[in-house]
Amino acid sequence: MNSGGVPYLNQAVAGTGNAEIVLETDHPGQPHQGKVFVAIHAHLHELPYYAGGLCAKLIREGYTGYLVRTTNDEKYGGHTIAQNILSNEQEHLKMAAAMGFKDVADLYYRAHRMNEISPTEIRGRLTLLLRMFKADTVISFHPWGYGEEDTDRQVTGRAVDDACVLAASESDFQEHLEAGFRPQSVTERYYFHTRSGQPFNRLVDIGSYVEAKIDAMVECRSQGGGALGSELRARLARQGKRLPLLGNDDRTANREYVRQFLLDDFRDYGRPHKFSYAERFYYVDRRPPAKTKVDEYVEKNAVGI
Amino acid sequence: MERRKFLGRSAAGGMAVGLGAALKPSRGASGLPGKFTPAAHAIPHSKYSPFTTPDYYTFADDLVIERNVPGKPHQGKVLAAVQAHSDDIPLFAAGTVAKLIDEGYTGYLIRLSNDEAAGRTLGYGVVQNEADIQEAARAMGCKRAYSFYYRNHRMDDNAVIEIRARLIFLFRLLQVNTIFAMDPYDHYDENPDHIVAGKAVEGACWMAGGGKDYPEHYKAGLKPAHIREKYYHARSPQGHNLVNRVVDISSYIDHKVRTNVANKGKGPAGTAGVRLRRQLARQGKKLALLGEDDETANLAYVKFFLMDDFHLLGQQFGLEYAEAFRYIGPEPSYAGNIMKYASEHAVPL
Repeated sequence: MNSGGVPYLNQAVAGTGNAEIVLETDHPGQPHQGKVFVAIHAHLHELPYYAGGLCAKLIREGYTGYLVRTTNDEKYGGHTIAQNILSNEQEHLKMAAAMGFKDVADLYYRAHRMNEISPTEIRGRLTLLLRMFKADTVISFHPWGYGEEDTDRQVTGRAVDDACVLAASESDFQEHLEAGFRPQSVTERYYFHTRSGQPFNRLVDIGSYVEAKIDAMVECRSQGGGALGSELRARLARQGKRLPLLGNDDRTANREYVRQFLLDDFRDYGRPHKFSYAERFYYVDRRPPAKTKVDEYVEKNAVGI
Repeated sequence: MERRKFLGRSAAGGMAVGLGAALKPSRGASGLPGKFTPAAHAIPHSKYSPFTTPDYYTFADDLVIERNVPGKPHQGKVLAAVQAHSDDIPLFAAGTVAKLIDEGYTGYLIRLSNDEAAGRTLGYGVVQNEADIQEAARAMGCKRAYSFYYRNHRMDDNAVIEIRARLIFLFRLLQVNTIFAMDPYDHYDENPDHIVAGKAVEGACWMAGGGKDYPEHYKAGLKPAHIREKYYHARSPQGHNLVNRVVDISSYIDHKVRTNVANKGKGPAGTAGVRLRRQLARQGKKLALLGEDDETANLAYVKFFLMDDFHLLGQQFGLEYAEAFRYIGPEPSYAGNIMKYASEHAVPL
């Protein structure tokens, strides 16, 4: 496994089976200055839950981040379909702002119905976004994620993976080139680990970024549990009780609820490696080597004419 | 210029006198009892090629004849001529496209298929047609030609929504005001590519102006495209559409001829003149109208044999050459009309 541009910070350890897991820890300074990542999820709460720490880390280390949501999230929020679309849309913007994303694009496909969408159409739209944002790195669902029962996630993952390939091609969607958007090579991919049994080969230490992750998660109130703390606090108050953990205001209640009850997996992931919190990813490195085998061969064997 | 003069004197002149009158069908041939009003009209046809004018026309009672307009009244406007195949616009609308460009429009030609179904091999076919559309675009005066390369005769296999999305992108990028396309309501069209192309264009036209469809285009710096004029043409043979506009293309017939001659890989034109000339030569014969060189032979062939049906159509309206369209123009100012009424009729409280 190629561990990336700052290898001394990424340590490979034995993983499950024969897999080698790279531990990605904090990088000092801004080694990713000038690079762009695009995080693409299907529903409001997914990015902060699965990769909020990674996104905060990459942005702090110099990346510019963009966020894309593929559905309209109409099925969650506890209100009418229309009201759910609105509340999720507004919370998505707030969540993106909390994380420090530069811009947000919503594609608004109907939630839970994405497998009826033309794969070529969504792929085309994502290809434009990757070119427009000049994405070097994407963060999204594993396109072949084992046990992923949510079809919106399956479709999104597949479309993202395909779009990464097409974005680099001069022959696909040539009208984008006409509009000034050049072919764009997406050279690094982080796939979420969403279900037990899915492969992962990278564990990202998010101990320094867990507050940012929590900040993002509490904005996800229509789904994702961002308001559960204040709701629990209010319920207990009606019963004449309180939980000290939840503090004295709604924001504290929501943040501490998330920390206490929703981050267990991430504590568990980090514990074997002495990280307070960690996120799992399947990382794909498509960066070209500094020297190809042909370069090396020529260097070694070329003789004067 | 010499070429235009030559064509004007020989082929077109001869045809106007010779064929137009000779091939007029007899009205009395109709078996339709007098108590019925015909719903469609057969127009005289030269029978030189099936790919010219349709078998029947249905005319609207507010039909407009669009004639030459002096100066550059369309300066600053943009048209997109969208076709499934390299020969569609050349055959059915090239005269009008050339006319509007001459009157000030900036024109673009957009081909949706890869035209693989025509050619010596599939590979030769796509290469020839790819080159042809560039030449055809130039002959009409278009600034640029685009191609989406969907597989020929398989476009009903493609997601219309994806084709539509790409057209919306192009319409916004090019800031298109006017489109030409196969009529999405054309009857009896056996080619699925035409039907898909027409439907995709129609949907793209109104969505290109909307703020909520494909908002990422606006992030990319594109602007809404407000397409206010559409020229829908029929295909032939068979197909017919509702016609409410007949365009006088007499001044642009040579543009149309050259556009069709540019189509070597597909359609009835291209190098057909040369082939006929050589065939006759092998038999020790020649046709004077085909001239003494290949270029003249191709141009004259197209003008004499393939443009004749557009001449016969034009004759019905007192024109030398014509093309027929279902034209959809700018909408009235509905809100403005209501406000006008209100301002004229409102009384003090």
